[in-house]
Order: sequence, then C-alpha cells, then structure tokens
Amino acid sequence: MKKVFFLVIAIAALAGAAAGYYLWNKPHQNISKAEAAHSVEANALFVEFESDEAAANTKYLSKIIEVKGEVSQVLDGENTTIVLATENGIFGVKCELDPHSKVAFPDYKSGDQVALKGECTGFLGDVVLVRCVPSE
Amino acid sequence: MQKFSFLLAAMMLTTLSLQAQKYFTREGKVSFFSDTPMEKIEAHNQQATAVVDLSNGNIEFAVLIKAFRFEKALMQEHFNENYMESTKYPKATFKGQVVDFAKIDLKKDGSVTLKVKGTLTIKDVTKNVETEGTFVVAKGALSAKSAFKVAVADYNISIPKLVADKIAKTVDIKVDAALAPLNK
Repeated sequence: MKKVFFLVIAIAALAGAAAGYYLWNKPHQNISKAEAAHSVEANALFVEFESDEAAANTKYLSKIIEVKGEVSQVLDGENTTIVLATENGIFGVKCELDPHSKVAFPDYKSGDQVALKGECTGFLGDVVLVRCVPSE
Repeated sequence: MQKFSFLLAAMMLTTLSLQAQKYFTREGKVSFFSDTPMEKIEAHNQQATAVVDLSNGNIEFAVLIKAFRFEKALMQEHFNENYMESTKYPKATFKGQVVDFAKIDLKKDGSVTLKVKGTLTIKDVTKNVETEGTFVVAKGALSAKSAFKVAVADYNISIPKLVADKIAKTVDIKVDAALAPLNK
C-alpha cells in the first residue's frame, strides 16, 4: 500500500515538473500562424486611436491585427521598425518586426505597399505594433 | 495618459514655427533588469518616445508597457497580466527637467552629465525621481542616456510570495535615446 502511495506521489511530482518545464519554456506565439482579430488600413487605425484612445485600446490592445498601408520610413533599430504613413504627416503606425520569426522579411523601402500582422501595444503619438510579420 | 499624446502633438505643432530647440525620437530604448541570485530577468523596449526641449530644459519620455520584449514568453505574460496590468495601464511616463540644461552646447561635439529631476508615472502612481543623465552632442544630433533604480513596491506592483525570491525589490532601468532636431 505504501509503495503505491509513493508511486502516485512520484508520478504526480514528475508530471508537475514536466508541466512546469513546458510552461517555463513556452515559446512566443507564432504570429505568422495566428488569425488576425482585425484587418485595417493604417490611416483608419491611426484615426481610431487619435479620436478615442480608450475605445481603441479596448478594441485593439494585445490583439493580433493586420494593417495595410504605405511605408513612410524604415527605422533601423535592434529590430527593424516599419512606419506606415497616415494623413497625420508626422505620426503613423509603427510596426516592429519580430526577431523570433523564421519568416524571411522582404527588403522594405519607403513607398512600398505592405500588409503586416502583429500585436497592438497602444498609442504613443504613433500606433505601435510589435512582433510583426508579413501578412499574406 | 491621453493628455500626453495630445500634449506631444501640441508641443510638436508649436515647434513648427520655432527654431530647432526641441529634440525628439520615436525609437528610444528603455530596458529593465531584475537581478536576484535565483534569477536574472531583462526586458527591452525600442519604441519609446522622448522629447528634450533645450529652450527650457524640459524632458519627457513615454513608453508602452506591452512593447517590452522578454526572452521567455511566460515572463512577458506575467509581466503584462499580473504585475503591470498593462491593459489597464498601457503607458509609463517620465516628465522632468534637466538641471543646468544650458550646459548642453549644441554647437560643440561633446558629452556632459547633468542632474535630471522629475516625476515617473507607472500604473497611475506618480513619484519623484532624481537621476543623472548623460547628454552627448555629435554633429548637431543629441543623445540622452540614463540609468536609475525603481522600487517595485512604490508603484503598486505586488509580487506574489511564491516568486518573491526571483524578482528584485528594486529593478534597474536604463534609458538610451538618440534624438533629432524637430525643425520642420
């Protein structure tokens, strides 16, 4: 009886450790395979945030969204960031490309028409998306 | 918080007619480091905005909490959902003053370290912060760097007992921004 008891404990501990190990090393969400919750033009997205940030936060924050528009700037940081143009002139939609993605990124240039998919993190002058990948 | 972006836009608009006294970036870097014997945690954000106004020494930084990148997905999740509640509080901001800002000489390449005083707002809790910032002028561009410590408990961030040994009571924050004149 005692043996069975210890066996159960041992198995439970092992399962717990395995689950913990899996969680600990859980990979980042694969954005390429994720379904976009919203698909929107860069300017329309920007206008939504500009006119009512709280409402836009509720709608978009932490969601994977697909955004389409024209590249106005390519910022070469640690991770490349693509800025999509809006009617604002100064501010736009910033899309930081996903460093973990295995997808090959095209060589973005200003003027390109692009569709990107990423996680919306909010509004800071620009609308900011992170972990972006090309959207088919 | 919404006021900030409005303020930023307003500040930028007023600059249009002025000389290049304001320096701005939309790709500032903010990192934090939590270091305990049990665990080292770091996260990086390269989407911070920063404005330095050399006519009055005003300096502002803002960062989106959700734009911090962690190596481990689980850490990023806990950071956003449990500790920072980033859906409720999407931004952190610093507003302050560069003391002796006149010592930043744009006409001459060089580096100067000055005291910076201001308020840091995280999770809607605002506290006074004093630190040193290094300002580097090179070919008409300005960069600002700083490092300071933040006590997690000061900002209404509660760490569960279970993981208390793994998360530092005070985290190191590093800020690094390369600014360009806003003179269009």
